[in-house]
Order: sequence, then C-alpha cells, then structure tokens
Amino acid sequence: MARTVSKTEIYVGYTILIFLVVISGGILLKQSQYNPAIFKPTTFQPENPTLTSPPASSQSDLMQYAPKSLTALTPPEVFGPENLSDKINGKAELYLSAGFVGLVSQRFAIEDEPTAWMEAFIYDMGSPRGSYAVYSLQKRSDATELDTGDFAYRTENALYFVHGSYYVEMVASVAQERMAESILAFGDNFTRKTTTGNEAINEFLLFPTKYLNKGSISLLPSDAFGFQQFDSIFTAQYEMGDTELTAFLSQRQSPAEAARLVESYTSFLREFGGTELKSTLNIPGVKLVEIMDTFELIFSRGRILAGVHGAENRKAAEELTLMLNQSLAEKGQ
Amino acid sequence: MNQRAQQHTTNRRDFLLRLLKGGISIGAACSLSYWLYDAAGPGVAREEKNLVTLPDFSLPSLKGKMSIVTGVDRTETIRRALNALGGIESFIERGDKVLLKVNAAFATPPILSATTNPQLVAEVARLCYKAGASSVVVTDNPINDPASSFALTGIGEAAKSAGAKVLVPKKSFFQPTTVSAGVLIQDWPILWQPFQKINKVIGIAPVKDHHRSGASMTMKNWYGLLGGRRNIFHQDINTIITELAMMVRPTLVILDGTSAMMTNGPTGGSLSDLRQTNTMIVSTDQVAADAFGATLLGKTAANLPYIPKAAAAGLGTADYEALKPIRLNTA
Repeated sequence: MARTVSKTEIYVGYTILIFLVVISGGILLKQSQYNPAIFKPTTFQPENPTLTSPPASSQSDLMQYAPKSLTALTPPEVFGPENLSDKINGKAELYLSAGFVGLVSQRFAIEDEPTAWMEAFIYDMGSPRGSYAVYSLQKRSDATELDTGDFAYRTENALYFVHGSYYVEMVASVAQERMAESILAFGDNFTRKTTTGNEAINEFLLFPTKYLNKGSISLLPSDAFGFQQFDSIFTAQYEMGDTELTAFLSQRQSPAEAARLVESYTSFLREFGGTELKSTLNIPGVKLVEIMDTFELIFSRGRILAGVHGAENRKAAEELTLMLNQSLAEKGQ
Repeated sequence: MNQRAQQHTTNRRDFLLRLLKGGISIGAACSLSYWLYDAAGPGVAREEKNLVTLPDFSLPSLKGKMSIVTGVDRTETIRRALNALGGIESFIERGDKVLLKVNAAFATPPILSATTNPQLVAEVARLCYKAGASSVVVTDNPINDPASSFALTGIGEAAKSAGAKVLVPKKSFFQPTTVSAGVLIQDWPILWQPFQKINKVIGIAPVKDHHRSGASMTMKNWYGLLGGRRNIFHQDINTIITELAMMVRPTLVILDGTSAMMTNGPTGGSLSDLRQTNTMIVSTDQVAADAFGATLLGKTAANLPYIPKAAAAGLGTADYEALKPIRLNTA
C-alpha cells in the first residue's frame, strides 16, 4: 500500500523548491556580472579595515607629536596590510614581507609658510626586527647618523628612524634648516611619548667587529640572495684592504635546521651553475661554492647559519669566514 | 503494528516509478549544469559590447624617432628634443585634441621626483597650444588621493597655468577594456572618459627605480590608466607593463631623466635617492625610450624583463641605437 502524502508536506516541499530556485537565480545573476577588477573576497578581509591597523586611536592623531612650528595640513590616514599599496604602491611588498601591521601618516606645514610641508609616516612593523628590516634595506648611504630612537639618520630633507617596532619616516617638501629642526623635534616627541618593549636584536653582536663597515648591518626578511628558504638573514659589509665582502648570519629554530639550510643552499647554488670546491677551513661542515666568478662560504654553528656571500676574492672570503666562526664561538654560539 | 509496517511497504510498481522519477531529476540536474557550464571561465566569455578599446594614437610616418638631449633646464631640453624631431608641429596639428598622461601617482612634492615634473607638464601643454591644439587635457589615476596628488605634486596648478584642463578621475570615467593579445588586461576598467574626442596622446614620465619592476618609466606610466584592484598586477609586473604598452599606442613619449630616482622607488622620499642625470628623451618608440632610460639607472634593457618582453611582442625596439637617436647637449 502506497504511503499517502499530506497537503502540508506538499506545500513545504514546493516552498523549499521555490526557495532553491530563487537562490540559483541569484547565483546566476551575480556570476554573470563577475569581474575580478571589482570583486573583493570579503571572507579574507576584516569587516573593519582599521581593526588590522594597530596604532590606537590616540596614536593615530599625530598632531600630539608636532612641535609648535608645525600645523596639520591634512587629516591622518590609516592603512593596514590590505590597503598599504594604496599609499606606497610597489614598495608595499617590502613592508609586508617584513611583518607590516599598520601605517598612520599625516602632513604638516610650517605655520607661516604653507609651501614648506612634511609628511610623517609611522609604520608599525609588529616587532623590532620588522622595523629594523625596512629601515636597513632603505638606508641612504650618504646620511648623517642621529641618536633619535634606536637607529636614526637624516638626509637633506628627511628623517628616518627605528623606535621599537615602529619605523618612522618624515619627508619634507623643502630642504631647509627650519623644517629640519621641526622634523627632528617631531621625532624626539614621538620617541619620548611612545613606549616600546625591551626586545633586543642579538644578532648585531655576533658579527666580528674587525674590518666591519659600521652601520652596514641589514636584515633581509625573506628570499635572501634569491633563495626562498633564506628568511631573517642579517648581512654585514666588511672592507679588508681593497676587498669588499658581505658576511651573513641567521639564528634558526634548531641546529638541525641550520645544518639543513647549509645543504639546501649549497644545492641551490649548484642548481644554478655553481661548482662545489673543497674547503681547507677548519670548520665542521663548511661548504665552498664557486658561482659566476664569485665564492660562497656557508656553515652552521649550533642554531646559527652563517657564511660569506658573493666574494670576488677567495682568500679574503675564507679569512672572514674564520673570523665569523671565531666570533660566534667567543659569543657562546 | 502489522498495519503500519504494511503502509511503509513499497511494491514493485512504486519502486520503478520512483526510480524513474529520481533518474529524470538527476538527468535534468546534470543537463542543466552542462548547459550552464562556462568552459572559458569568468571574464573571458563576457559579452564584448560594453568593452572599450583605446585607438592607436601613433603616427605611422614618424615611427622609430628618438632624440636625447642633455641639460639641466627641462623647458630648454624638451624644446630642443622636440625640435630635433622636426618640432612639436610634426606631432600636433591645428585643431588636435591632446591628452597628456602624466605620472601623478603620489601626493608628494615635486622636489622628490616621484611624479612628473610640473614645469615640464606646463611647457609641453604650452607647446601643444602653440602648435595649434584646440584642447589639452592632463590626467592620471593616482595611487594616493587624486585631488591631493594633483595639488601637492604641483601638476594641477602647472597644467592650469598653461591653459590645460586637469581631469581628476571619477568612478564614472572608467570603462572595461580587453587587450586582445594579453592575458591580464581582460575586461578590466581603464580611465576611459578623458580619451573621449582625443586624437593625440603624449606620455610624460620621470625615470625612477621601482621595487617590483626594477624601473618605472614610459611604459609603466600607463599603469595609471588602470582602475579596479590594480595592485594585484604587481604579482606579474613584467607582463602587465608589456600589456599596458600593447594597450596604449601613444603619439610620442617624453622620458624625463633630468633627476633620476636611483634608489627606494617608486616613492623615494629623500633627495639622496636622486641623481642629476640631466637627460631628456623624446621618442615615438616607448620601448626604445625605456631601454635608454635604463642606462640612466645604471642598468641595461636586459636587466628589466619587461623591455625585452615588449620588444618581442613587436611594440618597439630595445636596441635604441638602431633608431639612430639625435643627440644634443644644451650645456
């Protein structure tokens, strides 16, 4: 005997079917208008972009750091990782790869001289390593070192410094002394009013100091020397007579990881035409590769991955490698 | 209990009927899916009636022309560079409607050379009018706030002082385009409205380092015509620059290498990022102009993958010497 179906069941069934047809129609309509230029995958974006921008509201008002000589020219602008490129375009990737969290920027003008203006950029890089990375990678070579914040320098029209996890740029529209004094005062106010953690970057101390080009230490956050597995690599420039050399080191999670990276970087160099040579250095596991008329020396010591990159002079490279190994030993690595 | 069990029993006839209905439902769903399936994917199989295409603004008779003038004064070097190619009158005729595509990407001061120099914009606009142009329009779709960018770069004021009209982009100015030989610019919004009734286009760009592409010069300058979420193209920067050069065939390009941004581009920030390279380049071949511009940054065309790529696509030559550029020195 067949089961009878009640009218209620029929109505409910039709209602569900109509509902599904409406949903299908909506999807078809939306899909027919798809355009990647305007499509935004909202599931990957915060509901409120400002939530990803860490500077608190009180810090977003940069007027609090401005000396009396400056007056606000424009309101503050806030950017997060999702829209940083709207401010700095192609340079955004540099910041994003170094852990960028948020940016607040604002323009100020000299009170009685509106054509003389400057823009302050306060980048929150999430950590002192992040802020040091973007600072060191953009550092101007002919700059004047200052003692504002942790690291600082000025050029004819600008001031750049690191304060904890903040990287700060102040760029002026004119190169004049009055403006320079104003941006220095702004920088001092910022460092005085902004508290930071005590996280130190220990890698600075691991490099040997002899022949070291002071102020040349950089932090490459990713893809160092074109090798994808090389992240968080510190480099330092050395001048040994007429020879310029680049030493590098990186603290890894474990001795095993450091040793594995020595092998994988050596393989990477061989893959791109490098020739592995026998090294006579008394450093366990050291690798020497000649590639495109330059020499690469790589070794690990405990959790530290270290070496010399792109040296034109093998003898000098080996000498620096020994110095680096010795320095690591002396500093308990 | 037995009666309830009997009610739920399905006989052979009911079973076959339900099987048939189920089969028809599944078959209908599959047929519908097959009918709706878009093998070409989104964006490609769109109706093309709404797409716009920029006309070819180049002058066939002036193909492959190039001049390189050294000097510190932009108004002087641009005049000499144009005169070397027969004067602005060779490119602009009486009644022409000219569009100057400048680089106003950032709301930064002209001293930083991150944007087109305002004096140069004013001078080119003046020369166009002198040659008989009936209108000169200056436009760009800046990265930063458009109004601030045109104001703070000085381009807006300079253009107006020369009688040019500044078109600050609005949402309604954009229309989708597709570059037929491209893969990235497919149904993508471009700054279309300023090109209405225009018959001559001049690109004016500074020579800059660029974090992603290695350099930003005349071809990269067309990036400022893109709308939408254009920053996604940074993932394939060399292809997008090549496609931009396919999209825009200008009457001529002006590459300002008076003060080149050697480092920390495209924004720069410090005067120490700049070097006085004191060179003005005018060319009807944008690939050649960029190939020469690369040398001002201490690079070669081969160092910038989009240049050989554009040359291979037939958009110009990377061997700028083959054009026998006219070289002058105003010093």
